[in-house]
Amino acid sequence: MIWLTWRQFRAQTLAAGGALVLLALYLVYLGNEIRAFYDSRIANCAADACFIARLDLRAEYGDAVLGVGAALIAVPALIGIFWGAPLVTRELEERTDRLAWNQSVTRTRWLAVKLTVIGLASAVLTGLFSLLLTWSASRYDQVIGERFAALSFDSRNIVPIGYGLFAFVLGTVVGMIVRRTIPAMAITLAVFATLQLLVPTMVRQNLMPPVTKTVTVDSSVMNRGVGLNLKQDNTFEIRGYTVPGGWPLEEASPLYKPDGSPYTGDDAKPCLANAGDLADGFACTAAQNLHFEYTYQPANRYWSFQWIELALYVGITALLAGFGFFWLRRRV
Amino acid sequence: MTPVIQTEALSKKYRRHLALDDCTITVPAGRIIGLVGPNGAGKSTLLGLVCGMITPTSGSIKVLGHQPADSAEQLARVGFVAQDAPIYTRLSVADHLKLGARMNPKWDAELAERRIRQRGLDLKQKAGSLSGGQRAQLALTLAAAKRGDLLVLDEPVAALDPLARRGFMRDLLDFVDELKVSVILSSHLLGDLEQVADHLIVLANSRVQISGDVSDLLAIHYRLTGSSADTHLLPDGAELIHTEQTRGETSMIVRSPEPVPGGTAVDLEDMTLAYLTRATNPGASISSALMTGAIR
Repeated sequence: MIWLTWRQFRAQTLAAGGALVLLALYLVYLGNEIRAFYDSRIANCAADACFIARLDLRAEYGDAVLGVGAALIAVPALIGIFWGAPLVTRELEERTDRLAWNQSVTRTRWLAVKLTVIGLASAVLTGLFSLLLTWSASRYDQVIGERFAALSFDSRNIVPIGYGLFAFVLGTVVGMIVRRTIPAMAITLAVFATLQLLVPTMVRQNLMPPVTKTVTVDSSVMNRGVGLNLKQDNTFEIRGYTVPGGWPLEEASPLYKPDGSPYTGDDAKPCLANAGDLADGFACTAAQNLHFEYTYQPANRYWSFQWIELALYVGITALLAGFGFFWLRRRV
Repeated sequence: MTPVIQTEALSKKYRRHLALDDCTITVPAGRIIGLVGPNGAGKSTLLGLVCGMITPTSGSIKVLGHQPADSAEQLARVGFVAQDAPIYTRLSVADHLKLGARMNPKWDAELAERRIRQRGLDLKQKAGSLSGGQRAQLALTLAAAKRGDLLVLDEPVAALDPLARRGFMRDLLDFVDELKVSVILSSHLLGDLEQVADHLIVLANSRVQISGDVSDLLAIHYRLTGSSADTHLLPDGAELIHTEQTRGETSMIVRSPEPVPGGTAVDLEDMTLAYLTRATNPGASISSALMTGAIR
């Protein structure tokens, strides 16, 4: 059975292996470039030069890192479409199911071997790709530091393995139910893409209860590139506050005075009067002792999120596979 | 001895379409069973149920005493060649033999290789480029070298030309002798099965019309012609299967456990046609010649 799985899957394995080798060559090259840039311009840099070097780093390598990241997110979709969906449908369409399932191997065993061997290949492929990209972009990630950004989180470390496994089993089970290759491919892509959109935007942030802290607007806050924004109702909100490496869950938070009432346009007038000097204005605002509520996921939860999401995807994959075993025995 | 196939009120329904209805048969071991009936009669459904590719909607089926395909052991007992002899078009003949060897504990490599050699198949050839006859031979070899106790062949000769059909059937007979297996094979042409089958199942309209050992069936069917063709003269328990008018002469096919006065022996073809005609065209009487032409 393992032999048959390998024999039927040989061409795909070799193609995927070849693509991975090419990709590895590029990622090693890219990683060395970024490292060289980091060593010459960012390590031991002085204040202003640092700022410019960071901008240059993003300008120089941002597209490449994002592009390869997007490719890594696409790989599980491709696995689902080209490895998962046809696994059963091609047997049904070419009627070889009648040959395959009449050897002295039960359907359960047939599916178990197929899922294990090709599932393992999916996990290895996405895992190696992720490992390479994580290494290659590590300096970039360290400097730019948007680890929780959807494209970055989805394409680093261990979560891609979960996506690869899930997409493969999803494609297989959809194929069993739909029984035709092309519709099964389309449905697999639609379901997987929907999930990849929904999870980062709506699900992931709720996987752990966020932290809400009260931040006092002192001069250090004012100097971190925040913006005060006067809304229609004449109250202020603060934008752009970040905790290093953390994941802000709200773009803007209302500002409050020490007594807890909203900070209004009228309250701000005294500080705007001497708006000529930015530093004075900042100091004036800081002296008003304002505060706001900031909701976020702290930086040190990054690995918890990676593990939780991997576990979730592996869990759903296991449930789907269980359903697949039931369905293949009873309905196909 | 355990019957090869034993079914009890076996039915299979696809949505609203009844593919097999209330099928109760018992087939003893050691037979070559011919399953005959027009296209769409339910032959493939019955064979699919026998090898466990299809699960019944109701009723029960036991093959060699077990539920079909419920274990690897049961799968090993039954060799199946589906209609159109499916094979992996991208794999070579040698790959197919390897597949058989890897996936069947009782695999008879000597037998498989000998057959492939005798049929002149090239081991390195891609199975997709084999001729219809070679393809059928490859599929049959795979099923036979499993060394099961029952071979199930669904329309094995449908894709072959008349000469190849005859060869295939003759070869099958030798083969079955060597393997000591029971065989069930289907065809919409009785002519394909006549020379090989010693047990017959006639299917039409999703129902079993008649089944039994050929010699037993022939012994209880009679033809009555001319003046003796009078239903009043039939003994108790006799059943009129079919009446036909040929050039002004009445001819009846009758089933009766008792001898029928004036009755002459029928051949397998006339008997089968009588049942098929009754099933597909109740009440009508069509000349045997016409009917044969239609079915052929």
